[in-house]
Amino acid sequence: MIGLERAEQIECDFPELVRRYQAMVFSLAWHFLHDRAVAEEVAQEVFFSLHRNLGSIRSPAHAAFWLRKVTAQRAIDEDRRRRRRPQVALADVPEPAAKASAADPLLGETLRRLVATLAEVPRMVVILRYQEDLEPSEIAELLEIPVATVKSHLQRSLSLLREKLARRGMGER
Amino acid sequence: MDWLELELKRALAPRDPPPGFADRILGRKPGFHARRWMAAAAAVIVIASAGYGYRWRQGLEAKRQVMLAVRIVALKTSHIQAQVKELTR
Amino acid sequence: MKPIRALILAPAFVAALAAQQFQIDLSALAAKASDTVDVSLNGATLRFAAKFLDGDDPEEAGVKKLVAGLEGIYIKGYKFKGRGAWSDADLDRIRTQLKPPDWSRIVGVKSTEDGETNEVYLRTGPKGITGVAIIAAEPSELTVVNIVGPVDLDSLATLTGHFGIPKVRIPHK
Repeated sequence: MIGLERAEQIECDFPELVRRYQAMVFSLAWHFLHDRAVAEEVAQEVFFSLHRNLGSIRSPAHAAFWLRKVTAQRAIDEDRRRRRRPQVALADVPEPAAKASAADPLLGETLRRLVATLAEVPRMVVILRYQEDLEPSEIAELLEIPVATVKSHLQRSLSLLREKLARRGMGER
Repeated sequence: MDWLELELKRALAPRDPPPGFADRILGRKPGFHARRWMAAAAAVIVIASAGYGYRWRQGLEAKRQVMLAVRIVALKTSHIQAQVKELTR
Repeated sequence: MKPIRALILAPAFVAALAAQQFQIDLSALAAKASDTVDVSLNGATLRFAAKFLDGDDPEEAGVKKLVAGLEGIYIKGYKFKGRGAWSDADLDRIRTQLKPPDWSRIVGVKSTEDGETNEVYLRTGPKGITGVAIIAAEPSELTVVNIVGPVDLDSLATLTGHFGIPKVRIPHK
């Protein structure tokens, strides 16, 4: 009965989980796949999966971990599926409207496009680090890879991004 | 964090999903509003949603392809419009 | 027997009418392309997909309006690493199918400086527009589009401003 009550309590909060984490899940998928329509599909599938697996969710914090993990997996799977099918070149796919910010929008857009060109695992590592503020150890647990590999991916990706930005004349100001 | 890491945090800040996203999830989940009768209705819901789920996935894939196609048309049309406007100034 | 055979063939005949309106035979270019787009959406697929488009989302509502009543969207696109992969002969194979009285060219822009050729053709019938063809050729990219059905040109024009594509504005010099 206790288990049932806890499951019922989590289930009562499913709408709250959707509202609380929809931006996180959608953004993970969007930053990784750089395709708004596909990101929305992946995000929807993740939440449908959450609903089916609600019984295994132990707490809201566990829900966040679960959502990040499943979104990462689904986004990587979708990327692999897309690479087997013809795709529009990234440069041709316009971005969804972003909120106005005081930051340089051109640099932000360029960075997002450059991140989207990283290899799969380093790309997800970068997104989890800078979108979600996760520590390397948390990323390692989520992606089930060694911490040293996460740190190596971060270091090499940052170096690559710096180099690509410099070639575009967009280095440090 | 150095300047690049700060710019990455800005560039990769979470963005809202399309309007109505949460409503689509909550409104379309079969069985969610029937949880009081879940024990009795579970078998029916599982069977129904298996077919529903497959059709749903097919629909999302079709939608994705249509959005891709229209984006390409929009890009090309926009480019041609710009060229024509430039020439007729 | 004959009447039964005619009945069976009729639906196929109707289906053939609603399919692509000209052959986009660019298969020789596919081998040279670094990126390929091949979209083939018939009327049934468009109608099915439209059910999943959100009328409350401005972008999806615009797409829903555009595809309503259409019988097909067919796109072949190729991106090449360098210039010179396609020639006028490739474009002529498309153009010879887009001649009067069925088709009329409403836009033809050629820039020798940029190496670009862009053309738009309309197919008209007694009830108005029944198809659109677009040939968009750049030095390292070639895209051919066929939209089948009563295309709403106003809806086509309002696509700019969506998908993150800025509305066309030419700055004053």
